[in-house]
Amino acid sequence: MGSAHGSFQQLAAEPESAKTLRDGSRIAVVGAGPSGSMFSYFLLNMAEATSLQLNVDLFEPRRFCHRGPAGCNHCGGVISESLVQRLATEGIVLPDEVVQRGIESYTLHMDIGDVEICTPLEERRIAAVYRGNGPRDSEPMESESFDGYLQRLAVDKGANLVQRLVTDVSREGDRMRLECADGFHDEYELVVLASGINSRLTADLEERAGGFRKPAPTKAFICEFKLGREVIRETLGPSMHVFLLDIPRLEFAALIPKGEYTTLALLGDDIDEELMQRFFTSPEVKNCFPGGKIPDHVCHCYPRMNISGARPPYADRMVMIGDCGTTRLFKDGIGAAYRAAKAAARAAVFHGVAAEDFEAHYWPMCRSVQVDNRFGKLLFAVAGLIQKARFARRGVLRMTITEQRHPGKPKRMSGVLWDLFSGSARYREVFMRTLHPAYIKDLVWNLVAGNVDRSHPPAVERRHGTH
Amino acid sequence: MARTDRPTASEQSFLTRAQQLEQRPPCQVGCPNSGDVRGWLGIIAQRRKHGLSLEQAYSAAWNQLVELNPFPATIGRICPHPCESRCTRASKDGAVAINDLERFLGDWAIAHELALPHSRDRRCVESIGVIGSGPAGLSFAYQMARRGYRVSVYEKNATPGGMLRHAIPEYRLPRSVVEAEIQRVFDLGVSLQDGVNLSEDMQDLRERHSLLFLGLGAQRPRRLDIPGDSLVGVVSGIDYLARRKQGKSTKLGASVLVIGGGNTAIDAARTARRDGAAVTLLYRRSRQEMPAAAAEVDDAIDEGVRFLFLVAPTEVLGDGKKVTGLDYQHMRLGAPDEQGRRRPTPVKGETGRLAADSIIVAISQQPDWHDDGWLKTREDGRLANDLWAGGDDTGPGIASRAVAQGRLAAQSAHAQLRGETPLGAPSVAVDVDTGKVRTDFYDERRRHARSRLPPKERLERPEDEVDRTIDSRQASEEASRCMSCGLCFDCQQCVMYCNAGGFSRLENTTTGHYFELALDVCEGCGKCVELCPCGYLTARQSRD
Repeated sequence: MGSAHGSFQQLAAEPESAKTLRDGSRIAVVGAGPSGSMFSYFLLNMAEATSLQLNVDLFEPRRFCHRGPAGCNHCGGVISESLVQRLATEGIVLPDEVVQRGIESYTLHMDIGDVEICTPLEERRIAAVYRGNGPRDSEPMESESFDGYLQRLAVDKGANLVQRLVTDVSREGDRMRLECADGFHDEYELVVLASGINSRLTADLEERAGGFRKPAPTKAFICEFKLGREVIRETLGPSMHVFLLDIPRLEFAALIPKGEYTTLALLGDDIDEELMQRFFTSPEVKNCFPGGKIPDHVCHCYPRMNISGARPPYADRMVMIGDCGTTRLFKDGIGAAYRAAKAAARAAVFHGVAAEDFEAHYWPMCRSVQVDNRFGKLLFAVAGLIQKARFARRGVLRMTITEQRHPGKPKRMSGVLWDLFSGSARYREVFMRTLHPAYIKDLVWNLVAGNVDRSHPPAVERRHGTH
Repeated sequence: MARTDRPTASEQSFLTRAQQLEQRPPCQVGCPNSGDVRGWLGIIAQRRKHGLSLEQAYSAAWNQLVELNPFPATIGRICPHPCESRCTRASKDGAVAINDLERFLGDWAIAHELALPHSRDRRCVESIGVIGSGPAGLSFAYQMARRGYRVSVYEKNATPGGMLRHAIPEYRLPRSVVEAEIQRVFDLGVSLQDGVNLSEDMQDLRERHSLLFLGLGAQRPRRLDIPGDSLVGVVSGIDYLARRKQGKSTKLGASVLVIGGGNTAIDAARTARRDGAAVTLLYRRSRQEMPAAAAEVDDAIDEGVRFLFLVAPTEVLGDGKKVTGLDYQHMRLGAPDEQGRRRPTPVKGETGRLAADSIIVAISQQPDWHDDGWLKTREDGRLANDLWAGGDDTGPGIASRAVAQGRLAAQSAHAQLRGETPLGAPSVAVDVDTGKVRTDFYDERRRHARSRLPPKERLERPEDEVDRTIDSRQASEEASRCMSCGLCFDCQQCVMYCNAGGFSRLENTTTGHYFELALDVCEGCGKCVELCPCGYLTARQSRD
């Protein structure tokens, strides 16, 4: 009786949300990677615009100024130009010190030959960054950490950086209680989990909170080789080298030049030592290194990647963004973090922080990413088939080389590969392009031509590179 | 590019395997008594993780502390605390105030009447004799008594305590504190016999006890050996301090000269100031070479003691029977001596004269029971099969060293009596590489400054302690400033960031021990080693 009356009153008094942020509301953001920092930045920006006074505590125990894995966020560090542009429209202009090297092309390596794919449009360049302050034992660099840069933006906007490790989040009445390793605890009106997939926090939450499923991870491999600026210029050039090899479970492999170093990223289904062994002994890979020998790496890690999002990525007074919520499959995790940060901040400031608010105003964005990821899976499955079938590889290579040789020709295959490798377009859009009649016609022609006339053109087609 | 046949990346040669390696922290390295500072600070700092109340934590920390040192309230007042000068935190926002914390725990235990631990083992029944009841003798007596031995302490003075009781001024170490801590040792069943004359009774004592410990100290003051040094008004620093401490009259007159640069000289000078005299301290080297603790010298300056450096006395002047002044010679520093201190040499023709009513000579002390100089023991304090020694009779040192010598001698004596092999090297053999401690991980938190009596009030209330004990809030906060160099303090970074899930929490956690590391799942990225702020996780490089 009372409850019915109460809920009616509630409905009448607060039609939008029972839980909203008010002046003085306290928000805890757990993790100051790109999603946590951008969320803090957007939230405070939006609050400022609506004259709302919010207190944001941004928890991050690590220092991005540390070199090596301790100060790093474990990823290949490739940002598509479209994201750079989008950040610029938000007032986030990446300074030169953050960008290790502008990447101007992709070089696709296959057993039957290589091809360099130049940027289809000038604005589709990509940027290579370090998430921390460079590899272990590296010389102090004049560069700046990408994550460190975003974190500083958030702090400049008014977020209070708390250098503590959050170990527990729980519900305390109508507030959220946060606990840290050193015994510190506090209560908040909203907790934003941006703790990534490499932290244990979501696993701990899953163990305790019924109905919450943490994102499912898979194991990737990232390492750094110190080759020196000169050698990199001669062998790799300002190009990201992508390998399409017939190795089971390997979805994507790339070498990304960054200053004195080059980053190797292997993505796929639980990268293990057997897979790596096959990768490192492939001649296509060896040939990318000086003298055909792969040097010792100076730094490596096996970061986990998100292959399916958290369910649900929100609750009353809690929302998960970035890798611990929903992210894009394999590519453009930072772009996804940006979208999640913005959507979650908008929902919190303009609608409320109840589960229903996030469901109505945050979940649609997550869902669209998840739907798009299905197209991504499909595309990578097709790429996997191509990897396995030599005749298909010939067709793809021939079509790409032909497009690259004739500047006036529509870059159908080049564009598809570029967007697939860089993550700069949605997977759905890329997939749709592969259904275009002209694309199919070109592909069929090249499949036939490439397998009939093998002398033309599978020659090595690269502007950079020595051998 | 020349290349050798080194294993390539594909052969996984550059994995970083972590190991949990407890290392010896710098404070412990610096402590003459190898005090487990990190251990007892950790009990307080990590108390909540083990469900201890603050009181329980203090009590547990004190119990840990007195394993090695039965006199924390005393040592916490007088020790020049070399532990603190090595503290890793010193380079960040000030060393942890270890000395203040030790003193706090000591005072807390006195106030709460905590008793020293002792074994209920009935196997150790031998009778042990301890000659001398200074810090070395009492430390030995405590370590033997707690193991169950029947211990008798022989003392030539009427009261036990040696230098702690008889030489250190009340304003640094109140009698009540020393008495309380000494009493606790006797509460273990140790008996005391005073008025023992060593030269007559030695043979008898050797027969009466299974073994003896000599903690005789060094009470014979060195003389000036210059003309006039036996005039009335020339007193030794140690005699002056002892009389003063016993409440006997000390008529120094209005103008006093103190000769010497050690802690006894500073104590004598500051005490003389409290007696109302104008005091000048003369030292033959410069301030830099003074063996006295720098803080004590500062205090003396604050209290109005005048310092004359690079001067050596040449003649005590008198009116036939009493002192009237002193002639001295200016010195300059020459080449370093065998201890590395620069030797003073006279500057020709440059002399001076000072008037004085008294001259206090505090230029070191020597053993006064035989003429062979210092006792030469083995490393474990053993002199002969049934004879151990420690403390100032083996060479001058700070009280903490004497306590350590008594303790080590007891370990060795106990091992011999029980037919066990003496304890070998310390269990933690590797010292923390303080460069690996990530000081920037820890919050900036300033050291608590102890509250002190202002110089003017010190002279007005000469018996009052200059330093005050920190309070409980300060103590718990100060303890949590410890960075726990070389031992886990449950920051949980390793467990939270290990991609492979290699760390799991121990079922029964204890101070300093929280996680188990499973190397079979380790992926060798080395992130945990780099994240570990205290340097507990270290890398062992391997090829497999």
